[in-house]
Amino acid sequence: MSGLDGIGVKVIDAGGDGSARAVLREIETLLTVLVEKGEEGSIDLSSLPLTPEAYDLLEETLGEGEVTAEVSSLGVTRVHETGIPGVWWVTHYNEDDDVMAEFIEVTHCPEILLTPEDDVKDGLEALRARLFEENMNKSSVE
Amino acid sequence: MQDETLLDILKKRGVSRRAFLKFCAAATSLMALPPTMASAVAEALAKAKRPSVIWLSFQECTGCTESLTRSFSPTLESLIFDAISLDYHETLQAAAGTAAEAARETAMKENWGKYLLLVDGSVSTRGGGYYSTVAGKTNLETLKEAAAGAAAVVCIGTCSSFGGIPYAKPNPTGAVPVSDIVKDKPVIHVPGCPPIPAVITGVLVQYLTFGTIPDLDELGRPRSYYGDTIHDRCYRRPYYDQGKFAKSFDDEGARNGWCLFELGCKGPTTHNVCATTKWNQGTSFPIQSGHGCLGCSEPNFWDNGSFYQALSTPIDSVAAAAATAAVVGVAAGVGVGIANHHAKAKAKAEHETVTVNDLEK
Repeated sequence: MSGLDGIGVKVIDAGGDGSARAVLREIETLLTVLVEKGEEGSIDLSSLPLTPEAYDLLEETLGEGEVTAEVSSLGVTRVHETGIPGVWWVTHYNEDDDVMAEFIEVTHCPEILLTPEDDVKDGLEALRARLFEENMNKSSVE
Repeated sequence: MQDETLLDILKKRGVSRRAFLKFCAAATSLMALPPTMASAVAEALAKAKRPSVIWLSFQECTGCTESLTRSFSPTLESLIFDAISLDYHETLQAAAGTAAEAARETAMKENWGKYLLLVDGSVSTRGGGYYSTVAGKTNLETLKEAAAGAAAVVCIGTCSSFGGIPYAKPNPTGAVPVSDIVKDKPVIHVPGCPPIPAVITGVLVQYLTFGTIPDLDELGRPRSYYGDTIHDRCYRRPYYDQGKFAKSFDDEGARNGWCLFELGCKGPTTHNVCATTKWNQGTSFPIQSGHGCLGCSEPNFWDNGSFYQALSTPIDSVAAAAATAAVVGVAAGVGVGIANHHAKAKAKAEHETVTVNDLEK
């Protein structure tokens, strides 16, 4: 890609951050709904024509919050809470580190971070099996 | 195998529940559904059965298959590919000759009334369709036979959807789109030359997920992907609104990344998601690379005049759209347009064949 630098192309800002402002207003609406009704919402960023400038404006306005998390499952998913509590930025990558999907989630906690209920049940079984095995090992040593 | 659900298949591949959730979030985005639908998608996909898919290739260039098999996100696409049972595809299947045809016939018999029929390429009809045959059968014959037992037909690409390049004048093979032949089954058009891989997969996922065909526009295209024009979602749109146009491919305007309307961009009349989904791992799309849209997901895109003539040039079906565009204040091209119109009318009067050179005179 570095060869492109040699070509005299300059892209001048069209002042096209309009979509970022629209997204920010939508976040405001979703956050109002979360506060007033407790209903969660999200915005699919990959379906919007966001320019790099629009992205910058979104990131700048929302800022960085207290929580950053990474989920390793079918590639990495990076999750962080923005500087606006309740507004989360969730980016799903595939195993080649390409973005598969990107969302702004307006919620108390994104679902991808919660342990699925069936996994908790499986977890309990797994733990019991491990403890049982340990007991067996112990008794066989004694 | 047929009773396995998608979740069973994914579990076998070591996909965790969280990964499944992620898969569903990406699939929801792929289907252009609101993100709040992700849980409904997850629920439906967990129960979805593995459908049999038969892919027939007629008068085509295999570009559509190339587009799909080299698609953007190996994880998601390969998972979906594993989730369908692709029982016949001339380019991808291991079997050849009689064995391949036998595989198709078996799949059809076993899944009669239930399989999904994918078609790329247009169908030759002249002289009974002998211009294009596979295994001694005309495409016309094969299509009729396969469509009879299909649940639905998905036309992959502009050729099967609208006739495409084989259908372009003078159409020596009497090529027609699939919908001219198949009248009694739902036919979904996924045009593009080729279609964006994510769109092909998205339509398949939709069928896999809900077992239904998506909401279609008047040309049979899923509204979720073909609802907006390229122009509606183009990042260069603000320049159009400001009246800033590139006048040639190497002028100041082109270097500044201004609107390519006057250089023949068909974005305003072309319905597709190139401007948002983009190509090559979401890298770019034609307009971002400095070239106007060719309008490849629209009917007759090959016969709608030069790719480099502004839309304000009145030619056949684009004339209506051009009228609107002209009102916006694009004066250039109109003079050329009138001349162009004469060339076309003259050619039409004399003969059906119109070459690009005729139009550019």
